[in-house]
Amino acid sequence: MMFTIIVFLSFIGVVAGLAFHRFRTTREEARATILYSELFKKYAAWLALRTLQSARKASPKAWWEYIKALPLWRLPVLEKWLFVGLYGSFAYLAASGFFFAIFVPRGLYGFPLVGHVCAGGLFAACLAVIVIIKGRNFISVPKPVSLSPALFDPRKMGITAARVKLAAFWLFALTGFLLALTALLPMMPLLRTSGQKFMFEFHRYCALASLLAAMVFAGLELFSPPKG
Amino acid sequence: MSRAGRYAVGALGLALAVSALASAGPDAAAGQDAKHAVWDGNRTTPAHLIPLRDENDEPIIPTETDPLPFSVRFTCGPCHDYKTIQGGWHFNAMTATKSGRSGEPWLQVDPKTGTILPLSYRKWAGTFDPMALGLTTWDFTLLFGRHFPGGGPAEPPDEEVLAEPASRWSVSGKAEMNCLACHNKSGRQDPSEWAKQVLRENLRWAATAAGGVGEVGGMASRLKGTWDIYDGPNLDDHEWAVVPSVKYRTVDFDSKHRIFFDLNYPPSDDRCLACHSVSPVDAAQWSADADVHSTAGLKCTDCHRNNLGHAIVRGYEGEAAETGNTTAESFTCRGCHLGENAAGEKSVVPGRLGAPFPKHTGLPLVHFKRLACTVCHSGPKPTDGFTRVRTSRANRLGIYGVAKWSTDLPAVIEPVYAKDARHKISPHRLVWPAFWAKISGEEAVPLKPEDVEAAAGDILKPEERIAGILIALSQVMAEDETPVLVSGRFVFAPNVDGGIDASERAGAKADTPALWGIGKGGDVLPLVPKFDPDAADKDPAVETRLLEFLQALGTVPGAPGQPVIIVKKTLYRLVDGFLDMSEAPPEFAGAAGPGWLAEGTLAPLASDFDIRTVTAKAGTEQTLTEEQVRLVLEALARSGERSDLVYISGGRMFRLGKDGKLTAKRDAAAEPVTWPLAHNVRPAQQSLGWNGCTDCHSGGSDFFFTTLRGTGPLLTANVEKRSAASFMGLGGLFQRFFGLSFITRPLFKVVLAVCAFVIGALVFLAGLLFLGRLAGFLEKRSEP
Repeated sequence: MMFTIIVFLSFIGVVAGLAFHRFRTTREEARATILYSELFKKYAAWLALRTLQSARKASPKAWWEYIKALPLWRLPVLEKWLFVGLYGSFAYLAASGFFFAIFVPRGLYGFPLVGHVCAGGLFAACLAVIVIIKGRNFISVPKPVSLSPALFDPRKMGITAARVKLAAFWLFALTGFLLALTALLPMMPLLRTSGQKFMFEFHRYCALASLLAAMVFAGLELFSPPKG
Repeated sequence: MSRAGRYAVGALGLALAVSALASAGPDAAAGQDAKHAVWDGNRTTPAHLIPLRDENDEPIIPTETDPLPFSVRFTCGPCHDYKTIQGGWHFNAMTATKSGRSGEPWLQVDPKTGTILPLSYRKWAGTFDPMALGLTTWDFTLLFGRHFPGGGPAEPPDEEVLAEPASRWSVSGKAEMNCLACHNKSGRQDPSEWAKQVLRENLRWAATAAGGVGEVGGMASRLKGTWDIYDGPNLDDHEWAVVPSVKYRTVDFDSKHRIFFDLNYPPSDDRCLACHSVSPVDAAQWSADADVHSTAGLKCTDCHRNNLGHAIVRGYEGEAAETGNTTAESFTCRGCHLGENAAGEKSVVPGRLGAPFPKHTGLPLVHFKRLACTVCHSGPKPTDGFTRVRTSRANRLGIYGVAKWSTDLPAVIEPVYAKDARHKISPHRLVWPAFWAKISGEEAVPLKPEDVEAAAGDILKPEERIAGILIALSQVMAEDETPVLVSGRFVFAPNVDGGIDASERAGAKADTPALWGIGKGGDVLPLVPKFDPDAADKDPAVETRLLEFLQALGTVPGAPGQPVIIVKKTLYRLVDGFLDMSEAPPEFAGAAGPGWLAEGTLAPLASDFDIRTVTAKAGTEQTLTEEQVRLVLEALARSGERSDLVYISGGRMFRLGKDGKLTAKRDAAAEPVTWPLAHNVRPAQQSLGWNGCTDCHSGGSDFFFTTLRGTGPLLTANVEKRSAASFMGLGGLFQRFFGLSFITRPLFKVVLAVCAFVIGALVFLAGLLFLGRLAGFLEKRSEP
């Protein structure tokens, strides 16, 4: 139950945060006030409007057109299938894992479980290759740190969308590693019942962190304001 | 001592006696009860040197003439409240408001009518209430009292006794709860003697005889229904209708007529196992292992304990919530070994009685969620076709004597993994019911075996008739000769129980015609040797032999006619006790050998139906053929039963079709009755999963994929077949697929490990890089 509550709250938080980021970076009215209450009102109004607009536009056809237009399909063939493998397996893992965890008291079982295990293997393999070939693009370049009061001021920490995206990538990689590890260890004759219990819970929370990281990364990547 | 001194002591004694009498009363009695209800803290069992009392609460003088048997109620009752104990698990089946988890039902087995009927006074799924089937407590006691510790149905209240006019309680007395059955430490305690006394209807004498307290003679079953214990011995009959009597073992009594009972407070395992043994059918005694708890030094009663109320802890999860006895939480597998209650909460202190904490290393959690502990740890390991066992109560084990008491039927099968009341898979024992029934609405209401037998008439008696002929002929056989019937691949010979035994003849053909013969030194000679009755030099001994055979056949009970023997064209028969030889009538042309002559027609010694039936069943444990079932259903229909009549066996319901043929179908009434098993618990190294996941999860594991075939008294190919997975409510296809996935699982683990290592190493490196630059150790590379 606790897991379900945390999932819903964090999911809503990330979606709302990403929407706010978009609101703040794309809408003039976001910069028209510095009062938090005013800003919140405008954000709420915008969010409601966007939700309605999106709901009206959404249709299987629209989604299909959107997917067809993704830059993914223009990648070189090997890379294309690598990403298809990663996205596809991750989508299935998240869908099957969270659906059964939240809505099915018995948890994941039967053929969906077998699919989950197979997709997990594919995900780990694709992620390993992607981290090898793409990881260098996401290396952060911080300045050497020096002790000053500015170190503790969020506005001066240099938190930018680009840096959050980098952090999301590495968080995704880290949680991917932890997910693979927490799937692998219970299959080995190493852990007792309490260890198994811990791994089971840890796997779920890693999955949640992974999903949130992916959402942040995708949100910032897909909905970033046009450059220039 | 001086005279004055003696007077002083006397006066003092008198004063003490008077004061003791004055202080005695209701309060004192209440104090006594309280004293006996509460343990004083001492861990020893007191020596039981106690006076015996009879059912009239009179002291027993063992040396007097015709003493009564001792009464447990009045001998043990003064210290151990009898009424409280009557509420105990072993005695309260008829009165308990809660039934608890299903246990082994009583199985009424009648081979002749092919009946295997699960009965229980408790409301357990798949069982029938004996009272609803018209079985009185008297019937029930005679059927199953052999494995009762007395009490319960064997000790019905007086109003129930009066309501059963056909019962013989007034002759037999009641079988009171027999404390000695469980608590007697003495090796003299004899469950076999108890069983014999119950079958002799010596119910009130049974505890005395079985406990080795005295020797009991006579049989109440042979006495008239009007006899009463106050009538005393039958002076006119010392041979047959001998009144039960007791001769006490006077050596066990002291001069005050007190007997020493060597008792255990918690009964020893032997006492429990007398009624609760379970063994594989084919196992040798020396190869059978005990429960791992027993080998570790525990006794049954260490876990299955109780207070004076005898509400014995059965040890299943959920028992504590059902009964309110929170101590029961400690004595489940999870309670003792993990310290968890049924809900998985850490509610009790684990390790009671030294129970080790299980590691379960590498065992996925789903197993704890979906399986009972006993799946992996209890009963025999899954084998191809399951394991057939015999249980004390179902198969009448543990009763020793000249006669063989144990039976092969019913077939008890284990371990059948099925979901229990908690929806957890647990190992069960299983029995396929078999009974004749009338359909009433949606229900199949069993018919009483005696009603079926009465309606069936001769249809169910082929073995009896052939045995009757063979036994009659055996009267005139030499010591080294046995009368036999040869038919098909089998030779039938009479046995000591008045039945017939079939033995297979090597190399014989299945269509060998029936032949009456004489078994001698492994050979079978024809009953009537070849000779020419008209020859002048015929051996007179041959005709003497024929005379003997005809005389013997004349004693066959219910013979359909006069015995005759036809040799060539000569008819031999008895006329006024002498051998008569005459020419056989022309209509008997072609006939030869022994037969029955009735109203001018010649019938074979045994009918084709009889021979066909016994030959078909020979070498099997089945007791009915499809032909017999068809005939009995017709006979039942003729007998006035207007309902839809069926016979159930092997998981199928058989009924007569419109064309008069037997049809079979599945039906809820034919479903097997199951009950969870908990013992024997195997050592950890023999548990399922010790050798890895593939103990169960493989493409063809016996755990999931072995097939159970319905068994029953009916010889038929039309039986229910089910896979082990179907009992669990699991899809066989998925389990096969899942099992096969374990072939690639090692490779999967390697791939996952490599991927995890690569991702982890790169994330770690990236983290180091970030940290190094943050600290200024690493400078940003300048772009070319």
